[in-house]
Amino acid sequence: MSQQQDAGDSLYRKDPKVYPRDVKGTFASLRKFAVVALLGLYYVLPWINWSGHQSVLFDLPARKFYIFGTTFWPQDFIYLTLMLIIAGLSLFFVTAVAGRLWCGYACPQTVWTEVFLWIERLVEGDRGKRIKLDASAWNSNKILRKTSKQILWISFALWTGFTFVGFFTPVRDLSHSIFTLQLGSWEAFWLLFYSFATYGNAGILREQVCKYMCPYARFQSAMFDKDTLVIAYDENRGEPRGGRSKSVVPTDKGLGDCISCTLCVQVCPTGIDIREGLQIECIACAACIDVCDQVMDKMGYEKGLISYTTEHKLGAKESHVFRPRTFVYAFLLLSLTVGVFWSINHRVLLRADLLRDRNALYRELPDNRIENVYTLKLINMDFKPHQYRIEILNNNDMVLLISPEPDLEPEEVGNFILRIQAPASAGRGSVKLDVRFSTMEEPIIERSVSTRFLMPFD
Amino acid sequence: MTTEHPVNRRWSMRQRDWAVVFWMSFLAASAGAFVLFGLVNPLDVVNVWADEFSIGVRLAYGLTFAFLYLICLLASSLTMFMIRTGPSSGHVKGEGGHSIPDIQDPSQSNPDLDGENWK
Repeated sequence: MSQQQDAGDSLYRKDPKVYPRDVKGTFASLRKFAVVALLGLYYVLPWINWSGHQSVLFDLPARKFYIFGTTFWPQDFIYLTLMLIIAGLSLFFVTAVAGRLWCGYACPQTVWTEVFLWIERLVEGDRGKRIKLDASAWNSNKILRKTSKQILWISFALWTGFTFVGFFTPVRDLSHSIFTLQLGSWEAFWLLFYSFATYGNAGILREQVCKYMCPYARFQSAMFDKDTLVIAYDENRGEPRGGRSKSVVPTDKGLGDCISCTLCVQVCPTGIDIREGLQIECIACAACIDVCDQVMDKMGYEKGLISYTTEHKLGAKESHVFRPRTFVYAFLLLSLTVGVFWSINHRVLLRADLLRDRNALYRELPDNRIENVYTLKLINMDFKPHQYRIEILNNNDMVLLISPEPDLEPEEVGNFILRIQAPASAGRGSVKLDVRFSTMEEPIIERSVSTRFLMPFD
Repeated sequence: MTTEHPVNRRWSMRQRDWAVVFWMSFLAASAGAFVLFGLVNPLDVVNVWADEFSIGVRLAYGLTFAFLYLICLLASSLTMFMIRTGPSSGHVKGEGGHSIPDIQDPSQSNPDLDGENWK
């Protein structure tokens, strides 16, 4: 009875534990490089300062994001949205051209699983030893190895959780508060929660996250076409498969080049057999390519029985990198990226919110003048202090009074009371006003705001 | 004379899935709206926005519920999609499931692979 039938009508089948074998080769080295580079960035970035602030800090209480010397305010929310769209488009573009490159080399799940696996191999040995250890009865050796592995895993997970919180709370203050046992309750919660998520996803769940939980794996087929790079087994060359010694000429025995060593299955982190064809579980890590190439070398056959290829190439057709889909993704990505960076570089480092005091419509002053009162919120988004000049653009009869003086320190938010006075003869009803705010030091930092000035209606 | 079996006039699996998604999201969004408006008075929020948008209390209730419903719909339909397209149905091209692959000692039928660190 097949395993499919065993599963019966249930949606789920219990899969055996996967013990991926260690692999060396070009793609394994590339993945290790990606792991070191990406985790290096993750663990080191919070400790580097940039323009007087932590290089990357999402300061939620102050509602400011510091990213490499640029401060993003709540009003810059649009940039965050656009950045997310750019990230999504990059993923589409890379997927259309090179398949699941993200899954195999850059996804946090892959990257952290790689580290957890490395720790496991260090303590328990490679695949064969791990299987034997798991199958053996509990003895001092097993207890020692399992305990050591857990201690290392938990320490690494805690360090990961600590770094995660370090992106939201200045990391130096955070480490100080840990050593002095003064960690805040929210910080402690997120530290433990993220550590637990890392431990659970990379240590326990591993390939099951990719197979069952990740939506990208399900959506990626929409971005694939017959020219997308996939990892595939050359069935025409490999079949019929079978064991043989090196001295045997395969064609004499009616065999293809696959020697049925099953090493491609043993190195697979998701435990699939790539020879069964393109599968949703394949994360394109290329471990099977590395190990198969080594076996082909050993047997004296040509490499590439399993390789990065396209469906067109496998069908002996021409494959194209440049096609309408990649052009559209590339064009959108490029124009959006250029637009966002241009816009960030040209944004005005001043924000002004002018709200009319709603408690009174207007006030009649003794000298036959009308006064409206406004609440002004000025935000100095610059790293320098500024003095501001405020003027009314479209009405010369009006007088503007402000208290206190509009001087702001770097990144300061100031609230002011603004009074505008006009002669009673200046108009009737609601008059539109354009108010201009600019800095004394740099006239380029200026912003205009429209508001209403109320006069008697009769 | 042919009599159609009543089961054939029932909804398809997909229609049932969507019905469940819509109904459960509605219940979840209703519960969410009850709790939210038990804690927050929409009048307070409306007043803050009064200068920019003039929305009434009823519209504030309605918009908030619509937003919650939308989020719940998104989560439920994604959950349905993830369950229905899981690897138990196998191949990305819909060619059926795969059995758990057999694994063997590489040198078992390939004597030249003996002596490598592959066992």
